[in-house]
Amino acid sequence: MKKIVCTVLLCLFAGTAVAGTVKIGAVQPLSGKISVYGEGFQRAINLAVEEVNNAGGIKGQDLEIVYEDNLSTAQGSVSALQKLISIEKLPVVIGPAASSNFLATCPIAEREKTVFIGAESAASDISTCGSYVFRVFPSDMLQGIGVAKLAEELDYKEVALTYINNDWGVGLANAFKEKYKGKIVEEFTYDEGKADYRSEILRLKKNNPAAVVNLTYIKEGGTMLKQAHEMKFNPQWLLGSAAKSPKLVELAGEAAEGIIGTYPTFSKTSGLYEHYKTAFAKKYPDEKLPIFGEYNYDMIHLLAKALNNADALTSDSIRASLISASQGFEGVTGDLSFDENGDVGASYGRWSVKDGKIIEN
Amino acid sequence: MYYLQLFINGIVAGGVYALFAVGLTMVYSVFRFINFAHGELIAWGAYGVLLFASPPFSLPLWLSVFPAILLVIAIALLQNHMVFAPLRNSQPVTLLIASIGLSFLLRSGLQLYFGSDLHSYQTSFYESIDLGGLMISYVQLAMLCLSILFFVILHLLLSKTLTGKSMRAVSDSMELAGIYGIPTRKVSVFVWIISAVFAASGGFLLALDTSLDPMMGLTFMIKSFAAVLLGGVGNVWGALLGGLCIGIIENMGTAFISPGYKDLTAFVLIIVILLFRPQGILGSTIRGVR
Amino acid sequence: MEYLLHIGIVCLIYILFASSLNLELGCAGLYNFGHVGFFAIGSYTTALLTLSGYSVWFGLLAAMLVAGLSGLIFSWPVLRLTGDYFGIASLAFAEMVRLFLLNERWLTRGPMGLPGIPRVEILGYSGNTVTLLTALVITVVSLFCFKKILTSPFGRTLKLIREDEHVARAFGKDVVSFKTRTMAIGSAFGGLAGGLWAHYLGYISPNDFSLQLTVLVLLCVVLGGRGTLLGPIVGAVLVVSVGEGLRFLPLPASMTAGVAHIQSMLFGLVLILLMLRRPQGIIAESHLIQET
Repeated sequence: MKKIVCTVLLCLFAGTAVAGTVKIGAVQPLSGKISVYGEGFQRAINLAVEEVNNAGGIKGQDLEIVYEDNLSTAQGSVSALQKLISIEKLPVVIGPAASSNFLATCPIAEREKTVFIGAESAASDISTCGSYVFRVFPSDMLQGIGVAKLAEELDYKEVALTYINNDWGVGLANAFKEKYKGKIVEEFTYDEGKADYRSEILRLKKNNPAAVVNLTYIKEGGTMLKQAHEMKFNPQWLLGSAAKSPKLVELAGEAAEGIIGTYPTFSKTSGLYEHYKTAFAKKYPDEKLPIFGEYNYDMIHLLAKALNNADALTSDSIRASLISASQGFEGVTGDLSFDENGDVGASYGRWSVKDGKIIEN
Repeated sequence: MYYLQLFINGIVAGGVYALFAVGLTMVYSVFRFINFAHGELIAWGAYGVLLFASPPFSLPLWLSVFPAILLVIAIALLQNHMVFAPLRNSQPVTLLIASIGLSFLLRSGLQLYFGSDLHSYQTSFYESIDLGGLMISYVQLAMLCLSILFFVILHLLLSKTLTGKSMRAVSDSMELAGIYGIPTRKVSVFVWIISAVFAASGGFLLALDTSLDPMMGLTFMIKSFAAVLLGGVGNVWGALLGGLCIGIIENMGTAFISPGYKDLTAFVLIIVILLFRPQGILGSTIRGVR
Repeated sequence: MEYLLHIGIVCLIYILFASSLNLELGCAGLYNFGHVGFFAIGSYTTALLTLSGYSVWFGLLAAMLVAGLSGLIFSWPVLRLTGDYFGIASLAFAEMVRLFLLNERWLTRGPMGLPGIPRVEILGYSGNTVTLLTALVITVVSLFCFKKILTSPFGRTLKLIREDEHVARAFGKDVVSFKTRTMAIGSAFGGLAGGLWAHYLGYISPNDFSLQLTVLVLLCVVLGGRGTLLGPIVGAVLVVSVGEGLRFLPLPASMTAGVAHIQSMLFGLVLILLMLRRPQGIIAESHLIQET
């Protein structure tokens, strides 16, 4: 036991800064429930950091990300953020994925006057977090409305609504219900991470709806689509953005054919997107483009611009510089101008699956 | 028809719970502790198949099942040799905590090697049999058949072979069995092998039906243990019955209450049954009261 | 040093939480695997009350009461079960609490969680220092209560029940009543810990109260030493500080993706080795009963 205590103490003093780099922190889910996503975010972030450094870094110094694992939990997120703020003394921290973890940490960032920026947390509550809190990802209010519009555009007067029972699913569903004018014939939530959704699907099938709005994640979505297909239940599936991944198609196979979803859109024909895609493929030849990777990538480039423009590397001047840098900033994901809540706007596009490929239109 | 279909879904789900419950109940009856690492045997079984089906081995999927099962047996025996056998005379809670440690070790090892990314076997048999409106997929059918087959084999093993009989004796009382000269060490090896085979093949079927995920075992572990208690500890048929009960009730429940409460029905059932029959449905009264 | 304050607060809450479990598990031998359920009940009680305008102190008191009452109601029928049966019933209870919080959105906002829970405030100050001091006072007072309980005739009876229920019955002790009271007290303090947790974090959501937390707090008790006053304290401090200490391991940046997994592998390994070498925990219990 003594040995462990000694190691811990040693390590406490070992973590001093290396000179010549500008550091920003990142609270990321590297282990635990949503580490599936965390690894992808990290790749996109590292890609952007490499590009920033090749282009001269921050005021001549290299940009470096200090990652802290949040174990995909709220407590882990708070610990990680506290460490980044008070031990590493970093003025800018990238916030964790999953709105619940983001919401647990943003009051601390606000209190400690640390610039806190998220690239994938959608909960509408985040808008009111405070003046140091930003996100380059659109609020789920916007996205729920996007799905409702999609259902109306496709002229479905009746839908069944089902969603994953977490902050993202419920947030979207609430926004959807508010906006959608048609009839919702069936509505229920289902648990995350189950292997068997057949009975839930049966309940949907009982009402025989023409369309099912299913606000779901990759794993759950893949499983549900596959099992519904096996049960010969093939309505028009309408999905959100969190399921938009080649992985979903891989899991569901032919069952994914013809599904339609919405996602916060940006021009896929822009030179920036092409550049991102090829650069990612070059750096990670074996990996697929991660979900929301574009947002993480943009966030780093935006931060780099803000850091370069800032008068000093203090949180207040970075904050001011971030707001001004964002105005009219064109990233892969479009215009990242922050509004007064530190939110970005978004337009919504459709994605669908055809011949085993995700098509955007 | 709707309810009948739910019932069938319940039976299949229950069959899987039962497959995992067997390993737990056998380990429990000999060592008297809840093996938290059992879920990881399930996950390793599923990932083991993936390991042997992908390069450098590139075996066909059905063939990779066998080395995967061997791998899981090796892990289980290693667990037994390094951890559980030396601890066998300690308090149950010590073994329990050790198994929690093992569970962390094995699960993180899995994540380290395969990454947290989702995997699937990428097979494409989605056909299901249509029995006049009732659907059952081939994977489901395979799960059900395999569960039944395994239970029959296990029953024969336990009632006809000497090792099986010794195992039952040890589960009644390890001390007495030791006094009678029953090789307790051999029995525990036997128990771990059975536990590993059931977990690995169940894990494979589960992954075939859905996808692979390092956490996949954990979710099933709790309900499987509930199945064990429901059926009566140490009773193999009880594990089957308990598994089926939980599977059927939670699936039938989705018709009446929000599927968000799917797990709740199972847990309420556990508490109710335990209150009225604390020894489990098939458990012998003597042990339950003890 | 906000980070140290943070670790201090988390430690104190874990100490309180682990000690309340120790009362049940260490002293009375009740394998409560659902202690996190009471923690959750405490958290939500005080969060909901303070968000609708009541003071933090009233909220904490209510958290204790409601959690204690749930402990009483839960254990009254279930305590007729023994050993692992009780364990699995309590595990089921904790899951039921979590599912209730997740699904009853009219009350708890479900998975959206409750943001903006007020912090502890004394004379207008509400920083982490104030929270730390409050947690310290509450934990010390609670530990004092536990000490009283442990050394009282009540505590000695509990240990007797743990060692041999039949003997306790033969002495004319109403075993179920003793256990029920223990559960009520343990749950009340577990709820208090949960209340502190809610006021410290300021945001709670149902998935914070999962099996993972149960395992962690069980670990604190077993690691430190069951049935002793000091054990859970040592265990909680170690679990929290080792977990945080792992953040400081100087490892190359290219390995970051794997670090988390290596960390939890080490965590598992430490547990196994501890059980093999020193299963009674760091602080071993002196055998009071055998001596008296």
